[in-house]
Amino acid sequence: MKKIIYILVYGIATLVILGGLRSSKVDSDFDLAAFAELPVQVGGRIKPLDSVARNTLLILSGRQKVVTDEGLTLSPIEWFIDLTMRPEVADTYPIFKIEFPDDLGLVGLAEQGERYYSFNELLPFSEELRRLHGEINPAPELRSPYEKQIADINNGLMRYHRVMHSLHPVGGAERLDRLVDEYQSYLATIQPGMVELRKQQAGEEFDAALLKRFITFADDYLKLSTTAYLRVVPPPPPVDLLEDWKNIGLELLDVMKDDPLSPYVTSYASLTMAYRSGDAEQFNREVRELRERFIADFPDDISRVHYERVFNGLQPFYISMQLYVLIFLAVCISWLRWPKELAKAAFWVLVLAFLIHTFGLLSRMYIQGRPPVTNLYSSAVFVGWGAVLLGIFIEKFFKNGIGAAMASLVGFCTLIIAHHLAMTGDTLEMMRAVLDSNFWLATHVVIITFGYSAIFLAGALAILFVLLGVFSSRFNKDTARSLSAMVYGIICFGTLFSLVGTILGGIWADQSWGRFWGWDPKENGALMIVIMGAIYLHARWGGICKDRGLMALAIWGNIITAWSWFGTNMLPVGLHSYGRMDSAYAWLIGFVLVQLVLTATALLPWRFWRSEFGQANNRKEKKRSLIAAEDSEA
Amino acid sequence: MKPLFQFFSSLKLTVVLLSFSLILIFFGTLDQVQYGIWHTQELYFESFLVVWTFPEHAPLGQHLHWIRIPMPGGYLLGGMLLINLLAAHFTRFKMSWMKCGIFLIHSGLILLLISELMTDILAVESQMPVDEGGTSNYSQGFRENELVFIDRSHPEHDSVHTIPASLLKPGKRIDVPNTPLSIRTVRYHGNAEIGRATSGSPAESIATRGAAVRMGIIVNPKPETYSEDEINTATAFVEVLKGEDSLGIWLVCNVMDERFPPQMVDTGDRSFEIALRFTRHYYPFEIELIDFKHEKYPGTEVPFNFSSEVKVTHQDSTKNQKALIYMNHPLRYEGLTFFQASFANQDKTSIFQVVRNPGWLLPYLSVLLMGLGMCVQFGMHFFKFLRKQRG
Repeated sequence: MKKIIYILVYGIATLVILGGLRSSKVDSDFDLAAFAELPVQVGGRIKPLDSVARNTLLILSGRQKVVTDEGLTLSPIEWFIDLTMRPEVADTYPIFKIEFPDDLGLVGLAEQGERYYSFNELLPFSEELRRLHGEINPAPELRSPYEKQIADINNGLMRYHRVMHSLHPVGGAERLDRLVDEYQSYLATIQPGMVELRKQQAGEEFDAALLKRFITFADDYLKLSTTAYLRVVPPPPPVDLLEDWKNIGLELLDVMKDDPLSPYVTSYASLTMAYRSGDAEQFNREVRELRERFIADFPDDISRVHYERVFNGLQPFYISMQLYVLIFLAVCISWLRWPKELAKAAFWVLVLAFLIHTFGLLSRMYIQGRPPVTNLYSSAVFVGWGAVLLGIFIEKFFKNGIGAAMASLVGFCTLIIAHHLAMTGDTLEMMRAVLDSNFWLATHVVIITFGYSAIFLAGALAILFVLLGVFSSRFNKDTARSLSAMVYGIICFGTLFSLVGTILGGIWADQSWGRFWGWDPKENGALMIVIMGAIYLHARWGGICKDRGLMALAIWGNIITAWSWFGTNMLPVGLHSYGRMDSAYAWLIGFVLVQLVLTATALLPWRFWRSEFGQANNRKEKKRSLIAAEDSEA
Repeated sequence: MKPLFQFFSSLKLTVVLLSFSLILIFFGTLDQVQYGIWHTQELYFESFLVVWTFPEHAPLGQHLHWIRIPMPGGYLLGGMLLINLLAAHFTRFKMSWMKCGIFLIHSGLILLLISELMTDILAVESQMPVDEGGTSNYSQGFRENELVFIDRSHPEHDSVHTIPASLLKPGKRIDVPNTPLSIRTVRYHGNAEIGRATSGSPAESIATRGAAVRMGIIVNPKPETYSEDEINTATAFVEVLKGEDSLGIWLVCNVMDERFPPQMVDTGDRSFEIALRFTRHYYPFEIELIDFKHEKYPGTEVPFNFSSEVKVTHQDSTKNQKALIYMNHPLRYEGLTFFQASFANQDKTSIFQVVRNPGWLLPYLSVLLMGLGMCVQFGMHFFKFLRKQRG
């Protein structure tokens, strides 16, 4: 039986991992993996097209895949290549997510009652959508959910349109199939066109047809230069890493200034033609050529770009998220049956999930060249990681599954939060100047965030204490004592880290603003965590609170930490406004309410505690009050 | 006496005080939305008592605006915590190796509280804008004002006689130092709207001399703003006297700066320029801005670096030096610290934050003490726990 348990748990874990790896593979004659790795400059750094495809899809659809009406599933890069090269096909893919189509009041749209819409389905309503967009509140933070949905759809359509125009001008099939010819005839028109233009300006006789053709080109590319979303044209070598890349339209316009046309532009045109005609061989040759040119120009960046594409495909956080669920379930079952085997198996899966989580974290650090926490998204990933690390230590000492269960719970929740934070776009963005200090990012920010991990884990353990104590008859004195020791140890740890992190933040502030302490909301939040820790510790040392009170305090730590982490970012003030957000407001309030209910549960009189531990305390209390009553009578 | 001592040294009091601090900081964070950071700081953390009011503009504000929560302010809580801590150490604590971690943490905390108080009282913050190629020998506050009389008769230097605006109380007479003049404040407004009288409304002004009369300027008092990106237009009507003779009433205002023609006070033999301006701090050295750089990430508007290359020329030429001031790398010079704060004028002007804070080293010391203390304390607990687990 023992063996079967191990095989079962490890088997499921293996399946989860394999499932994650398999979904990243794409079957196609076209070398889409190489295409996905072609470079683009976005947000101040060079990244693969694959990242752009994923982020765009996340923003439009809220997920990293496209399911066509025929039931086919496309990977982000497959969608992206269709979007840019076969727009007539991409326009039929349902990728615009509309959560509440009925609310829009668009007759015909709501009847379909779906959540995902294609560009073609939205096209008949574009006029109406634009009109609605003109009526909504211009200040984004004051918009109602209805207005936000309208803004999202309009912005989504705009983004879709602009990304589509990123690799070349877009038009009907006759234009896309002849892009190379178009560029050639444009290049041939420039010289004579300029001559005719000068003649016209000087009032001399000129060739009107030739001039008109030239001006049509120029107008068209000018429009393209404002539409094309991606900067895919690197400057000619020698390369300066701080130089701006150009979008296709700008590059085509600049040819008029006697700059030679970048080979990247013509390569993308040939790629498109090859893809449209189904010529995989030609396509793969062009991709290889583009890639080699990039390697020659940016020898230091290719490995990072390659790595980012591979990392995107692996989705380590998604895998570890699933493993955390497995661990939690395994431990929960272990409290009913096979306690030893399941707990042990859960522990090793926890270690595995932690390693995968760590791999994701390190990969992001390598890609970005930064310490692990740089924005709200990465802080969520890190909080989970820290909690799991602490959970592994707890599990190592106590070996009862409790540490593993709660660590995997915190790990899962924070990764879910991270997943939702990723909807806003690139999570590997560049840092503003004042934050641009690896030393302080690596010390202050990491330590503070690790403090969050500890307090959340302690809070989760305290919740478990309360729930088991009140509802489970099997919860006895020994388990209570070991849980209590865990909470205490983790809070010591969390207080230490929060305090050191807060003070390091003060030193950073002193270095950059000349003010050690400025009562900024985020600083205050960190200080509140420290004070909360101090209250817990003093209440424990002074014997002011006993088990129930201490657990209530630890659960309050959850509220304070959530406020410090998210709540302070929702206030429209402060120096730490790098992670501003408005949508999570309701979630935060919900979380706080749940914690308050749990605190109230913790403070229930002993007679309501169904557990052995609670009943023992109840008897003790009764005895004490009886003795007191006798004393007073006597 | 003993019960009193017991009360002040009790751990219960510590927990209560800490809980109040938690509440104070929470509301002191919330109120920054309506009062801005500076005013909130004064209301909550540099006070003994504060009353929180449910903000009118928050959700449900109209219905809940009556809610008021009084709570002890920062000075009261900080002071009480200090007393509590000291009392506890005098009564309950016996020095022992087991307690040395706690002792270190607490002394770090005491130092931190003291340094915060020192900063509150002693630190001065101001700003110094310098143009590329230009120099400056003074910095300017952004909240305090001063009334100045400037004597420009000397060919080499001007003499400036100043009175802080905080002394400008209506009716009060103040002698202007080192001049035959004295002033009496007729009116002072912390913030006001300044405009020119239109033909319809008669210019009702109590000023009898200077620009107010010449240009028909009228003043409408306004409540002071606490926003970080607005300034208060401090305005005063000041009567200038020589001996017992009134020379007239002038309108002065801190937005009437160098761009306006100076307002002059003539005493017969000497003449002074009169003005109300943001408080200036003059230094015995000049800062010259050689070059200001503002770099952005390629293809974006996100700033990547701001830096100012400066040359400092001191009256004592042995103290001359060059420096590069950039993000997280201030220049510490003569007890002052110069930070890269901002820029203006299409990247041609660099603005430095100038801070004089004699206690700036204390937090560093306190960090060391507290960090060390925590490591010792929790380290001991941890090893004890490990021994128990093994045993």
